[in-house]
Amino acid sequence: MKISQLGLVGRRVCSSLRARLWTHALVAGTMAIVLFVFGAFLLAQENLQNLLKKWGDQIQINAYLDKDLDAAEVSLLRHKIQNFSEVERVRHISRQQAWKDFQVALGAQSNVLEGLPEDVLPASFEIFIKPAYRDGPIVEAFANRLRKEKGLTSVEYPQEWVNRLSLMVLALQWAMWVLAGILFVAVFFIVRSTVRLAILAQKDEIEVMQWIGAPEELIQAPFVVEGMIQGFIGAGLSVLGLWFFLRFLRDQTPTLIGLFGSLDHLQFIDWGSIALILAMGSLLGASGSVFSLRRFMRTWRG
Amino acid sequence: MIQLSNVSKIYPPNAAALKGISLQIEKGECVFVTGPSGAGKTTLLKLLCREEEPSEGEISINGKNLIRLNSRGIARLRQQMGLLFQEFKFLPHMTALDNVALAGLVVGAPRGASYNKAYHLLREMGLEKKYNVKPLALSGGEQQRVAIARALMNDPIIVLADEPTENLDAELADETMRLFLESRERGTTIIVASHDLDFSQRYRTRVISLHEGYLVDDSKLASKEGRTG
Repeated sequence: MKISQLGLVGRRVCSSLRARLWTHALVAGTMAIVLFVFGAFLLAQENLQNLLKKWGDQIQINAYLDKDLDAAEVSLLRHKIQNFSEVERVRHISRQQAWKDFQVALGAQSNVLEGLPEDVLPASFEIFIKPAYRDGPIVEAFANRLRKEKGLTSVEYPQEWVNRLSLMVLALQWAMWVLAGILFVAVFFIVRSTVRLAILAQKDEIEVMQWIGAPEELIQAPFVVEGMIQGFIGAGLSVLGLWFFLRFLRDQTPTLIGLFGSLDHLQFIDWGSIALILAMGSLLGASGSVFSLRRFMRTWRG
Repeated sequence: MIQLSNVSKIYPPNAAALKGISLQIEKGECVFVTGPSGAGKTTLLKLLCREEEPSEGEISINGKNLIRLNSRGIARLRQQMGLLFQEFKFLPHMTALDNVALAGLVVGAPRGASYNKAYHLLREMGLEKKYNVKPLALSGGEQQRVAIARALMNDPIIVLADEPTENLDAELADETMRLFLESRERGTTIIVASHDLDFSQRYRTRVISLHEGYLVDDSKLASKEGRTG
C-alpha cells in the first residue's frame, strides 16, 4: 500500500470513529468486560503461582519425635539428620516450645487450651532442605527415608499441599482457556455483527470505492484498523479495570483467614500478561472485521 | 482492443437485455452506441466495466477475459477506465474536489498531485468556483461535470460514458466531447451510449445501433461493406 493510500485509510478511520462513536464505544466496552474476566483468571493464576513458589522456597519437613526419647537420643538423632546431604539445618521444637507456638498461633482464641496439659503436643524437628533439593520427588524420597528412622513417629511435609495447589492452578488454567474460548466466540460474533452494521452504514461508500477501482485491501483496511482500535481500547480498559479491582481487594477487603492470609500480598499481572490481553483484544477486533468484510465484499463485488 | 463474442444478458426471470452481440472495438476508437430506451446500451457498458456478467458469450479487453477476473482484477480493470454513468456515485460527505481526487488516491497517486489534477479538471469543466461544494448541493449538470472530471482523472485507457451530455447545454456538451476526443489522441478508447442519434452523428465517429437487445447497425461494418460492395 502506498503512502497516499495509507493517508486515505487513516482519514476514513478517523471519519468513521467520529461518525459512529457510540457504536465503537459499545463494542470496546463489550470487549473490555470479556477481557476483564479473562484477565481476572490470569490474575488469580499468577498469584497462585507466586504462592506456590513462595511455599517451595520455604519448604521444610516436620518430623515428630517419639515421647520416650531422652535428651541424649534426641541429640544423636538430630546430629544424624543434620548430616544428610539434603539437609540445610535442623531445629528442635520441644514440647513446651510447641505448646507456646500453638498458643501464639491461636491468638485471642488460646483460652480454648485451658485445662489441657502443656506436654500434650509432641516434640519435633523442623528440617530445612537445601535449595538444590527443593524438588517434589526429591523431598518425597527424603521424607520416606526419614519415616524409616527409629525415634520418629511421623514425618510431614507441605509438598503434598504444594502438589494439591499445583493441581488447582492447573485446573484454573484449563478453566481460564475454556472460558476464554467461549467468551471469545461470543465476542467474535458481537464484533462481527457490529462491523456488519458499520459496513451497511458505509455500503454506499464501499460501492463508490469499488466503482472507481479501489483495491480490496484499501476498502477493507479501515474496517480492520477500526476493529483493532476497538479491541485495543477494550483490552486497555479491561487492564485498567483489573488494576482498580486489585486495589479494591487490597484496600477494602479485611484480612482473610485462609489460603492467602492477607490480600496485601496480591500482585498485579505482569507485563507479559498485559501484552497478551492487549494483543488478544486487537486480534479479536481485527478478525471480527475481516470475517464480516469477506462475506460482504463477495456479495457486493460486481 | 475490446472484443465481444456472441454476448447475451438475461436478467431474471427472463428479461433479455442483450442478444448475441459480437463486435470489436480497436484501441483509440470512439464509438457511439445508440438506440431507444431499453435497447441495451447501459447493459452493454455495465458488461464492459464488469458491473454485470454476461449470461452467454465472452468479453475480453486486451486479451483478458472479463468473466475470469477476480476482485483484484476487476479493481485493476476499473482503475484503467473512466466510468460515467447516469448514477454518478459520489461520496456525499466529500466535496466535489475530494470526490475527483479520490479516484487518484485509490490508485496510489500522491495526494498533492491528485488534488492538483482534480482541481485542473474541475476548472476545465467550468467548476473552479464550486470545487469546494458537496455534490448534493450542485445542479444535475454540475454533478455530471464533476463525474466527467472524475472519469478522466487517471488518464483512462477506456472511457465508458452513458448519456454523458444529457444534463448539459449544447456548449458544455461540445466541451465534454472535446475533452473525450482529446484523450483519444493519447490512445484512449471512448464508448459513449446516447439515445440522441443526431448528437452522435455530429462527431463523425463509429456508431453502433442497438434495438431491443440486438445489434442492428454498425457504421464501421456498413462502410466496409460499402467499399467492398
